[in-house]
Amino acid sequence: MQPEEITPVEADQRHRTWRAVSIVVIALFAVSCYLYRVFNPNYPVVYNDIREHFKYGSIGTEPMNGVPYWIWKVLPEMFPEKLPGPGPGYASLGFLYEPGRDLPIGMARRRVYLDRVGLNCAVCHTGTLRETPSSPRRIILGMPANNLDLQAYFRFLAACVSDGRFTADNVLLAIQTHTRLDPLERLAYRAAVWETREVVLQRKQLISFMDSRPDWGPGRVDTFNPYKTVQFRFPMDHDATIGTTDLPSIWNQKPREGMQLHWDGNNTSLEERNKSAALGGGVTPVSVDLAAMKRIEDWLRDELQPPPYPYAVDDNLARQGEALYQAHCASCHAFGSAYVGKVTPIAEIGTDPHRLDSFTYEFAANMGTLFAGYPYRFTHFRKTQGYANMPLDGVWLRAPYLHNGSVPTLRDLLEPPENRPKVFYRGYDVYDSHKAGFVSDVPEENGRKYFRYDTAVPGNGNGGHLYGTKLKDAEKAALVEYMKKL
Amino acid sequence: MADDILFQPLAFRNLTVKNRIVRSNIAGRFDNYDGSGGYARINWEEKFARGGVGAILSSFVPVSIRGRIMPNYATIHADNRVPFWRAVGERVHQHGCKYILQLSHSGRQQDIGGVENLRRKALSSTGRTESQNGFLCQAMTPGEIRQTVADFAQGARRAREAGLDGVELHGANGYLITQFLSSGINDRQDEYGGPLENRARFVLEIVEAIRKEVGRDFHLQVKINGEDRGNAVYPWEKKGNTLPETVQVCQWLEQAGVDALHVSCGSSFPHPLNPPGGFPVDWAVKTYDIMISSGVFVFQRYLLMRYRPLRPLFRYFWEHSKGEVIEGINAEAARAVKQAVKIPVLCTGGFQTASFIRKVIGEGCCDAVSIARSLVANPDLVQIFASGRDRPEKPCTYCNKCLVNAIKNPLGCYELSRFDGDYDRMIQEVMSVFEPSPFAQ
Repeated sequence: MQPEEITPVEADQRHRTWRAVSIVVIALFAVSCYLYRVFNPNYPVVYNDIREHFKYGSIGTEPMNGVPYWIWKVLPEMFPEKLPGPGPGYASLGFLYEPGRDLPIGMARRRVYLDRVGLNCAVCHTGTLRETPSSPRRIILGMPANNLDLQAYFRFLAACVSDGRFTADNVLLAIQTHTRLDPLERLAYRAAVWETREVVLQRKQLISFMDSRPDWGPGRVDTFNPYKTVQFRFPMDHDATIGTTDLPSIWNQKPREGMQLHWDGNNTSLEERNKSAALGGGVTPVSVDLAAMKRIEDWLRDELQPPPYPYAVDDNLARQGEALYQAHCASCHAFGSAYVGKVTPIAEIGTDPHRLDSFTYEFAANMGTLFAGYPYRFTHFRKTQGYANMPLDGVWLRAPYLHNGSVPTLRDLLEPPENRPKVFYRGYDVYDSHKAGFVSDVPEENGRKYFRYDTAVPGNGNGGHLYGTKLKDAEKAALVEYMKKL
Repeated sequence: MADDILFQPLAFRNLTVKNRIVRSNIAGRFDNYDGSGGYARINWEEKFARGGVGAILSSFVPVSIRGRIMPNYATIHADNRVPFWRAVGERVHQHGCKYILQLSHSGRQQDIGGVENLRRKALSSTGRTESQNGFLCQAMTPGEIRQTVADFAQGARRAREAGLDGVELHGANGYLITQFLSSGINDRQDEYGGPLENRARFVLEIVEAIRKEVGRDFHLQVKINGEDRGNAVYPWEKKGNTLPETVQVCQWLEQAGVDALHVSCGSSFPHPLNPPGGFPVDWAVKTYDIMISSGVFVFQRYLLMRYRPLRPLFRYFWEHSKGEVIEGINAEAARAVKQAVKIPVLCTGGFQTASFIRKVIGEGCCDAVSIARSLVANPDLVQIFASGRDRPEKPCTYCNKCLVNAIKNPLGCYELSRFDGDYDRMIQEVMSVFEPSPFAQ
């Protein structure tokens, strides 16, 4: 049937309707572009300089486990009493601030509808060093984060969002003292307060089993136990293992490829070790920013080297020490040696077994499900029966020693366990150049309390690794002098 | 009464009218759909003839179907319309009243084109869509202009054949001739657009053609705007012709052989200043809907009236340029025209007070006044004046309810207050135009 011819008015109205629809579509597109620009769904702050990228760049922890920037910013102001000591702010938890920087090292910013902040690699792998209490603090990338109390940070967030004062009105009021949010952002932040409470409380609930285990203290983390609930939802009723370990250095990765990595040597792939660590920081298989991570991985593998020992070294003494090192240490700890990067059975090494025991066969099997569906699905995790022999590059900065950070200095490590300090303090960054390690007898400085490390606490044992303990004092001194140069 | 200027005859070149009160152009949809005449129109016109007006100016009478404003208005586009108009003339003449037929063409100002025009755009000087109702149009070609000029001439011939007393060209209120004359509408680049003498070419060619067709001894007058005020509703529109331009056109018309001029205002119809007075939105929402399919802006405009929260917007546009003056609103424009020409000048615009009419005629503003709404309210207005009363007991309130009803309902006075609130009596009066009905005898 021939369609009815339309009148000029109808034709014009159709034309106008189409024009109106086009205008509306264009307007919607423009509004969408505006909203996209304002609430860009996923875009990190990008740093060209690799060192800045390492310190402040995003690896993708923000989409699922980040905290909206302004909420994160005002929490210390709203709840200062929940912080452990003098700040300012997150500095009291051991976060490191550089002059002129808004965020601490290890905290990245990414727009996920709202600007969010999340952890990156540097949070656990950047530390500080002072020659004396009055010396300027030197920030060193790649060394263990000797200041950071990560467990206290998570507890602070949980305490804040559990507080009855954590309401949208109060949060917006606090934000107002810093910036003026537009109405859309205010609305978004109202939702974000609710969302933040949900996310933080869920994580708190998942890792609540950690409360029945000894505190980590600064510079330590239970790497794998939280995976059991966060990743796999294991019931923890019958799991009392303690997996707390010292944070490692991450420089000079190239020669480590193929070694048994992690303290118990459970994985031989640098790539899996890195991605596994990123999961611990808060990325998910979907949110992980592989390109950003690759920049860091390349840099850690090919460029970042441990800093040379900055204080005076007695070269004569060190030469003597080198011979001792070759005789007693090198076979397990020198690059290229027979046993470096390999696991020494627990019966032989004799160090605290808790960490080893926390990584079970069942858990190792489950690690193989991570990143399922991606070409980089984990395939290298294995259960071992000991602890791995670590290369000792930059060992002078990696105190306290042993996998659980139970021995404060190199010199102490050369003592038999019964002579090693039974109680000492962690988190202090003044260097003890005599014993090669951080000063460990200072419980408090300027109101800031340091962590009392008790080797009698389960998982904190300082036994084992008896190598060199039978040397004479002069030999031990020479060996320590040499190891400062590694 | 012999000395009363109101009742002194007015002699045009070819026509003498018994007094100075002329029924201005007004009518409803009284005829058959196709424009063949209906009995109600004869009744309608006789009302005023019986009331004593000196002459009746017919309502808008299209010279072609394409130039109609709406169906059910008698046309003069074909010879078969002559008998009807003869009947109208004869009936009016029975009361000593003259009948002048208004030769008209809507141009783009076509309220309801009717099924005959449904699939074509209206003709105009321009192709630009009309701004208030969104009437679509196309610029006339030279051939269409020649044809339309001829249509006017043939209309005049038919009016003369019907025994009518003269014709008036509707050159005012936004219809086709205004669309050529007005600098606010005419955007042509040819010899019919641009300077005033080009814009006036169309109406002058019509006058010339009519004179060729009917000779010099048939009354011919032109209704024209004193001022266009094209920006009265939307301030961003052009204002159109000014009074000096109109005066110049009137002088050209006089030279071309026009016998009289009839001064109105406003380059659209209706216009905030014409007919002057109120705008009854409550009534408009009951009638304006009939035009929704006619123009591309009608629906939006209707919504402005239909929804009370939007009415202030409508009222702002409609009323912001309106003044206080109603009666004699065009008197000063008429005076300017009259001072420039020697032929008689008629003036329209709210007249219904005898003393005021005497004043404007006495002061030389015009030679006679034309009245529409006040006569609809009181068809015997002339007799009221003759009885010595200065104003009717129940005068027209200038509410313009007659205006907004005309497009949908029978024309009449819809001002309830004039009927003491008696709705039925008001409707009975409105319906009286259908009495006597044609088959009732």
